[in-house]
Amino acid sequence: MPAWVEPVARYVLFEGLPGTLRVSAIAVVGSALIGVLLGTLMTVDFLPLRWLIRLYIEVFRGLPILVTVFIVYIGLPSVSRSLEFDPLAAATIALVLWGSAQVAEATRGAVQSIPREQHEAASALGFGWVGRHGFVILPQALRRLLPPFVSLLVNIVQNSTLAQVIGGLEVLEAGERQNERLTAIPPIGLGEIHAFEIFGGVLVIFFVISFPLTRLAAVLEKRLARAGFG
Amino acid sequence: MILATYDLWGFVSENQAELLEGLLNTLKVSAIAIAGAFVIGAILGAARAHRIPVVSQLTVVYVEVIRNTPILVQIFFIFYALPQLGIVFDQFTVAWLSVMIWGGAFNSENFRAGFEAVPYRYREAGYALGFSRFATFLNVTLPIGGRISIPSSINTYISVLKNTSLMYVIGYAELTTTSLNISNLTLETKESLTVLAVTYLSLVWGLSALIRFAESRLALPESR
Repeated sequence: MPAWVEPVARYVLFEGLPGTLRVSAIAVVGSALIGVLLGTLMTVDFLPLRWLIRLYIEVFRGLPILVTVFIVYIGLPSVSRSLEFDPLAAATIALVLWGSAQVAEATRGAVQSIPREQHEAASALGFGWVGRHGFVILPQALRRLLPPFVSLLVNIVQNSTLAQVIGGLEVLEAGERQNERLTAIPPIGLGEIHAFEIFGGVLVIFFVISFPLTRLAAVLEKRLARAGFG
Repeated sequence: MILATYDLWGFVSENQAELLEGLLNTLKVSAIAIAGAFVIGAILGAARAHRIPVVSQLTVVYVEVIRNTPILVQIFFIFYALPQLGIVFDQFTVAWLSVMIWGGAFNSENFRAGFEAVPYRYREAGYALGFSRFATFLNVTLPIGGRISIPSSINTYISVLKNTSLMYVIGYAELTTTSLNISNLTLETKESLTVLAVTYLSLVWGLSALIRFAESRLALPESR
């Protein structure tokens, strides 16, 4: 293997990959929590609240995520200096805004698909709104939400590359920095172009993460359909 | 010192010509990519649904590679990596080509699902009437399956339009690049982002309304 490969691979895997994984993990958990809450609240019979959540969903699903990233990264600080975030944090917030909108829409559908009788039975047992949803409705709805959650994870891992655009150190940015370093004239770099190998490698890294997950989502989907939930 | 001003109208009227050209470039790239994604999707979706040997397997590989890698990395690969092999595209070409390849992969899945939803007995009826396999596809599977896949394929076209904003990274002067570049000079960040948000939301919401309209008008009579 040529000598340039080892330091490049080390940088991408040990400096870049942790960034990608951290952004993705926080964004998925944040999206799931906020999305399930908003989606459940969407089923409440209070129109202004429903309209407000509907607006949130339509705005953050409608905007290109890159625009949301810029709104968080350069828009918020231009409104107030206290809203300044580093690139990875800004990308994470943007992904949560987008992801929670996706989850909210899916949750609304899943909660509404639980038969009325379940609500009535839970009420008859003395559960209030919170207990009814927390112990009876959501546990059943979550089963239906599992495949969309896995797809969300895949989408968030892939969209975490948007942090690169604002300079956040994740896999793509790590590859890009190494590509520039190698291209630089000696003694700084090698004066060699290895963009094909480096960006090809970045593609492989993402494929290796995503492919098992998309397979898993497909299997879960099938299992769900077989259980009569399709 | 950034002054706490907000002059949306001033930003738009002063940079009217540039912003309009950016919007036109966004629409132009999207239109080319959507047309391409439609053709790629219909052909490869048909190949998949009819299990045409070799083409069908190659389509699976194409779809899995595109679906499981970030489009931003695909753009970097086409723009920065391919020139190393002597394949050089200008920014405009990379702009429509990358989103077309991306959209084509997703669209072939939409069309495959649509074609596979056409009951086999319809095709049998076509053969019984003496149509060839190809004529049966054109006269039976395409009109019925194509209509079933309209909503999901319009969803893909909306994503194609949104993804053209990623051309910011290669410096192609579509709407996002144009608006952000202006605000880099004038520091009118809020105005620039407002223009982007309002324009993209109008386009996306407009196309979503089109889906609902298409769903009601083009739906198969029996499912209406």
